[in-house]
Amino acid sequence: MAALTRAAAAPRRPVARAVEGQELALVAVVAVLWLALSVGTDTFLTSSNLSDLLYSVAPVALVGIGMSAVIVTGGIDVSVGSGAAVVMVVVSKLIRDSGAPLPEALAVAVLVGLALGIVNGLLIAFGGIHPIIATFGTLNLFRFLALRLFDNKQVTGVPDTLAGIGGGGAGETVGVPNAWWVTMLLAALMWVYMRYWATGRHWYAIGNDPAAARLAGIGVRRRLLAAYALTGLFVGIAGCVLIGSGGLVQQNAGTGLELQVIAAVVIGGTSILGGRGTVLGTLLGALLVGTVTSAITLLGWRSELTELFIGVAILVAVGVDIVRERRRSAA
Amino acid sequence: MTTQTVAPEQPPVAGPDRQSGWRRLLDLVLAERVALLSVLLVVVVVWFWVMGRQGYLVAPYDVDYLASALETLVPLCLLALAELVVIVSGRGGIDLSVGSIVSLSGMAFGAMVGLWGWPVLPALVVTLLVGVALGAVNGVLVAYLGFPALIATLATYYAFGAVALVSHDNAPISTKPIQDVHSLTQSVTLPLLGDVAPDLPLQVLTFLLPVAVVVWLVVNRSAYGRRLYAIGTNDVAARFANIPVRRTRFLAYVTSGLLSAVVGVVTVAQFASARPDAGSAGSGMALPAITIAVLGGVAISGGIGRVAGVIIAALLVVWLNAGILLAFEGSDGSQFQLFALGALLVLSALLNAYSVRRGRGAG
Repeated sequence: MAALTRAAAAPRRPVARAVEGQELALVAVVAVLWLALSVGTDTFLTSSNLSDLLYSVAPVALVGIGMSAVIVTGGIDVSVGSGAAVVMVVVSKLIRDSGAPLPEALAVAVLVGLALGIVNGLLIAFGGIHPIIATFGTLNLFRFLALRLFDNKQVTGVPDTLAGIGGGGAGETVGVPNAWWVTMLLAALMWVYMRYWATGRHWYAIGNDPAAARLAGIGVRRRLLAAYALTGLFVGIAGCVLIGSGGLVQQNAGTGLELQVIAAVVIGGTSILGGRGTVLGTLLGALLVGTVTSAITLLGWRSELTELFIGVAILVAVGVDIVRERRRSAA
Repeated sequence: MTTQTVAPEQPPVAGPDRQSGWRRLLDLVLAERVALLSVLLVVVVVWFWVMGRQGYLVAPYDVDYLASALETLVPLCLLALAELVVIVSGRGGIDLSVGSIVSLSGMAFGAMVGLWGWPVLPALVVTLLVGVALGAVNGVLVAYLGFPALIATLATYYAFGAVALVSHDNAPISTKPIQDVHSLTQSVTLPLLGDVAPDLPLQVLTFLLPVAVVVWLVVNRSAYGRRLYAIGTNDVAARFANIPVRRTRFLAYVTSGLLSAVVGVVTVAQFASARPDAGSAGSGMALPAITIAVLGGVAISGGIGRVAGVIIAALLVVWLNAGILLAFEGSDGSQFQLFALGALLVLSALLNAYSVRRGRGAG
């Protein structure tokens, strides 16, 4: 009987699932937080604060777009923080020493990021190394590369070439940071790609069952390589956003970025076991983490509490997902 | 990870191929991680010793220097053993929170000894219990509630770390009683062997050796150890064999918390100060620990891993790092340490993947 009703309802499911349940819940949580903060503080709902918030979320969300694809395939990339450091030192020295314009800087950043991503992808897809081991290794190797390029000095006097996608007023359109516009555009493209393109769906197939995916004729290795290369590309763009309006690039740049990104992806409802998740969820997850960070600063609470809330948010998000998954398999 | 796991259409290679002695030695080194690491360890030590003799190093790479380098071995090796137990327990087992447990249990120890004036021994016992409790949080999340280990311990990494920072207003505790604890980690001359053996850091004898022996006994010589490998190899088969899968996995995370608390105490003693970011400064303690466990031959998929491999891997990394530190001027050495760690990890994983494929092809 139950099976019959489910079968009858089946054709409607794709429409109903255009936005996943977890995403609706996240929208609600973020909305409630914003509402409460707007009422509770008189500093939250100001255009400068919201602009700062969106700008600070942008790098995490950008890398999260690529990381969503990687995690959907059942993999992970913990080297993104070190990768961002490499991109930042290369690009900041480029625009300072040769005065390269924004398009050139962006192109170099994307190429450097892509190259690092391809290294990860080759090790994992063609070297047969478990993703977490491979990227733990490249986390160290990329950080080494970045420190060599830093040459024991932080990069100072970086010009404001990249201010167009940076924090201040120069990088805004209609009061919203350009970095956030870029993030939303790329996320939308990726959302469509992963949802409607065959090669995008292949990532989900690989995450669900790599052996079955291969037998179904999917080029598993090439698709995996693409996911990691793409993450590297997004790391390149995020590095430019992090340099922003210039000034100083420190040697510890990007440290801990990987954990923030993984937290955003997981809070967004992507299953760490692979096969399930969306870019939209990641965007909302990053927004939630950014909102909590901003709220704790505005409320004058201790900034260390931010991490406690991120930890709890991860547990709640994944806990809800586990319960829903049990219901689904029990039904 | 994804494409190599299943290769049903590969035909078995027929006939034994004739192997020379060298070939067999190569196979042994490829198949036995402990053999490979031992060879590497000898090569590294001899290499740096010769370099030191030729005057390429800024200080002599001698037995005394190697012994004093063991100071950094203690936390690394203990945490790598913690990762061994957790990773062997299978189902994606991993513990990212060890660094935060080191910080938090260290702060607890610091508060008890440094602020409340407790004697060291009861404080030590309570600190270990704190570690057990924190490990139990991970264990409940992973074993009983079914959270993926990577996620559960990522969350507790954040949560425990934040509590450690908040606990003493983000300030270290380094009062007089805490500074006195430093005597736990001073360098000692061995009795009887004092003339031939170098001075050793005391914590190697009081903390590392006993703990390593106990871990070896539990993992290799107890019923619990056999159950641990059983659930790591095949969850479902272990359940059918009437093994309490959840409790066994739960205890693996508790063990990890306990070992992290030991490191917490050692770290406080070593630096004569309880620092709230002791285990999470920089990229934290979890990453090197996992790296060493994997280098030591622990399979990330669970069920495979030996205590001897992990200990030799830790020794290799520590003595390699010590040598690199002497080979470069200024901060270059610490940078090349990152390179060495990353390259070792990637190369050993590539070798693993290669030997697994070879083994399958020949078998």
